[in-house]
Amino acid sequence: MSALLQARSLSRSFGGFTAVDDVSFDVQPGEVVGLLGANGAGKTTVIRMLLGLLRPTHGEALLNGRHPSRLGREHLGYVPQSLGLYTELTVRENLDFAAQAFGCEPMPLTGHLLEAQDRLVSDLPLGLRRQLAFVCALQHEPDVLVLDEPTSGVEPLRRARLWDQIREQSRRGVGVLVTTHYMQEAEQCDRLLLMSTGRLVAAGTVADIVDGTTAVAVASDDWSTVFEVLGRDGFALNLDGRDVRVIDPDEARLREVLAQHGIVATLRPVRATIEERMTMLGR
Amino acid sequence: MRAMIMKEFRELRRDHRTMGMLIGMPILLLVVFGYAANFSVESIPTATLGPQAQQAAALVTEVPQAPFDVATVDPGGDATTAEDLLQRNDVDVAIDTSQQPPVAYINGSSLFTAQTAVATFNRLGDRVTVEVLFNPDLKTSWVMIPAIIGLILTFIGTIVTSIGMVKEKQTGTIEQLAVMPIKPSTVILGKILPYFLLATLDMVLVTVLGMLLFDVPFNGNVAVFALGAGLFLFVVLGLGVFISTISQNVGQAIQTAFFFLLPQILLSGFIFPLEAIPWGVRWISYCLPLTYFTMVSQGVMLRGAPLDALWFPLIMLAVMAVIVFTGAVLRFRRNLAPGDGRRAKAKAAA
Amino acid sequence: MSVRDLTVRFGDVVALDDVSLDTPSGHITAIVGGDGAGKTTLLKAMVGLVPITSGVVDTPPRARTGFMPTGAGSWADLSVDENVAFIGGSYGLSGEALAHRADELLGRAGLSEARDRLAGKLSGGMRNKLGFCLAMLHEPDLLVLDEPSTGVDPVSRVELWRLISEAAAHGTAVVLATTYVDEAERSGSVLVLDQGRSLLNGRPQELVSGYPGEVVETSTPERSQFAWRHATSFREWWPDSAPPGSDPTDMTLEDVAIIESLRQESA
Repeated sequence: MSALLQARSLSRSFGGFTAVDDVSFDVQPGEVVGLLGANGAGKTTVIRMLLGLLRPTHGEALLNGRHPSRLGREHLGYVPQSLGLYTELTVRENLDFAAQAFGCEPMPLTGHLLEAQDRLVSDLPLGLRRQLAFVCALQHEPDVLVLDEPTSGVEPLRRARLWDQIREQSRRGVGVLVTTHYMQEAEQCDRLLLMSTGRLVAAGTVADIVDGTTAVAVASDDWSTVFEVLGRDGFALNLDGRDVRVIDPDEARLREVLAQHGIVATLRPVRATIEERMTMLGR
Repeated sequence: MRAMIMKEFRELRRDHRTMGMLIGMPILLLVVFGYAANFSVESIPTATLGPQAQQAAALVTEVPQAPFDVATVDPGGDATTAEDLLQRNDVDVAIDTSQQPPVAYINGSSLFTAQTAVATFNRLGDRVTVEVLFNPDLKTSWVMIPAIIGLILTFIGTIVTSIGMVKEKQTGTIEQLAVMPIKPSTVILGKILPYFLLATLDMVLVTVLGMLLFDVPFNGNVAVFALGAGLFLFVVLGLGVFISTISQNVGQAIQTAFFFLLPQILLSGFIFPLEAIPWGVRWISYCLPLTYFTMVSQGVMLRGAPLDALWFPLIMLAVMAVIVFTGAVLRFRRNLAPGDGRRAKAKAAA
Repeated sequence: MSVRDLTVRFGDVVALDDVSLDTPSGHITAIVGGDGAGKTTLLKAMVGLVPITSGVVDTPPRARTGFMPTGAGSWADLSVDENVAFIGGSYGLSGEALAHRADELLGRAGLSEARDRLAGKLSGGMRNKLGFCLAMLHEPDLLVLDEPSTGVDPVSRVELWRLISEAAAHGTAVVLATTYVDEAERSGSVLVLDQGRSLLNGRPQELVSGYPGEVVETSTPERSQFAWRHATSFREWWPDSAPPGSDPTDMTLEDVAIIESLRQESA
């Protein structure tokens, strides 16, 4: 089965600086693949090469088996972080333009977008703008969807709804590539790719990604003090609700420090999160 | 392709400033060039002096194709009176009949008027001696350079200032400023002062260069010049601030600044002499700050005019400075601290 | 420090409708809500950036308040040090005192190595940390942060929270708006806004334990108007008790926030 998107030993340097180093992966039809990594890890550069916006210095990026080209764009739906909408046009006008540009029929609107169809994009709140950007990218029924931080700054319910739409697309056979900083989203992907300083350092399920990193959740009445004390002692920390999570801890030392400060807390081993894996990579 | 065109049209329709430029500007240019563009002078304010002033007045009015408009007949006047009248820009030609043959003193700083007058008098041959004051060779550069100084100040003041101030709005940092314990007037002054200094430096540079390269004289009082320039700068910087309060981003600021700039270039006497512009359009010139600054700079540099001769343009500049600056500050204050008035009330109620 | 019965109207639009909130010193107060909920309007009303239609805002004067707007609030064309110098100078800090304070704050934020770099060239996470330092420079009594960790990478987010928690520990009243409900969970109290109205207000644990009904984790939700996608399956809320044979799970604050949105929608 031919992959919709393929990166083969993709590399890109800018002058002396290597932004992407020998990255290979693919996206199959019906899959949702999550691309993770800290800022500067090279995610955006990889995406730009897959989209044909940037030429690789080595390796190749393939869209439907061919190098990215203008014609190939018809099969691609892309929503950048900045959404790519025309703020001085209405909802309807943005849709019409996208439809005409891709040579398809404009999609009929429903719900809130329908109510807002004659409003200028600049008057719309972020949630609706994201919805519109999504619809513009889907109108021409692409085979591949590339979404850059699709739910950044969006509240939980909207986030869930957007993911309903993403899942719907993958059910229809569309291959989706998503970048995200939000770990709950990462869990919704079929497969994950973790990048760090230009390289692909881990791939697979959440378990595969965090393999090698452990964590202990410290639950107490006063997370703030625990956080401060452990932080000062040099532990790698993360927060989750009111739990302070310690990454790759020396358990004995951890108990010692807590005892020293007279802190009463319960410790329980938990599976590390992807953020925590990323924190350890950065150290 | 069609989609692209449609989209551009739709976006354009909503972009009022660009629309204004596309529609308004051609109309403005047409009107100006149609009416104002005129190098031929309709009337030359003249004075006749000396014992035969009356006769001279009668003669001069009769000369065909010469639009001498005798404003003053002064039998007691002489060469000194003539120079004085010209220096104060009260008249452009002063005929002194107390000398033999009579001498026609001509104001060289009104270039086209002078050229017309000189040509006319030359046709009268030896009967009249012609002396061109202030700009004896009738050099265009001598008349232009004082005006250009003003133009440069206008550019810097309006465009550069408005950009500098609107950038805060564009990046959103204006909210930061609004929340800090700095008064709006402090923000404005703090932002304007560097531009004021730079503009002053530029002005000195251009003036000196103009004098060196083109031999433009500086016959008058530096203090008077500085006063005029200072007032003018205030107007122009105030305009820059005002533009920044009605623009959301740098692009809009530049477009708006351009709207204010274009009429000044065309109608301030810089290209087309004021005297040649018919009154139907000339009233606009009298609303433009550059017009008054040019009066001051030409007066001081070429004619050595004293302070009391220039009271009119200086007062106008002062009035404009006060109006524009106050308006700009008020608008800016609203931009910066919309919540202030209410907040105070709410606290008082607490 | 508080806000009482605050209403803010912009023309016909009611941005905030009769909202009250306490923001005590040494505590973190979180404001949660979707688009148009009024989070930013509320924060701006607290710092005087927005005129109040009615109600009372009782907050310290400008010189004792620190504000970090969305978009980080630093001057992109200035370096980190130059930003500090400007803000410091504006608040009347200078010399030894300013240098000491700057060293301390920037050090804790992990920005010591980047002091000469232009603020515009910093990564998102670093810019937000800088924005935080600038807002804290003058040791304000009230710190107001508008979505401080949106768009920030996870590692920086934790570091930002360390700074936030330290500020609260030192007695500053911290108010922040966020779309990350797990951040609200950590706060001393939460205000949930929707369309300018206050839906819930109180301590996170109490809001959750006092919330009616039960949440069930399921792969086949029965009522779509009260179910939502979560991780690899769905969660569904039953207003009274979960049907027999189902698998009720612990309710979280995020569940509560989502359920409230759903209830508003079906109302």
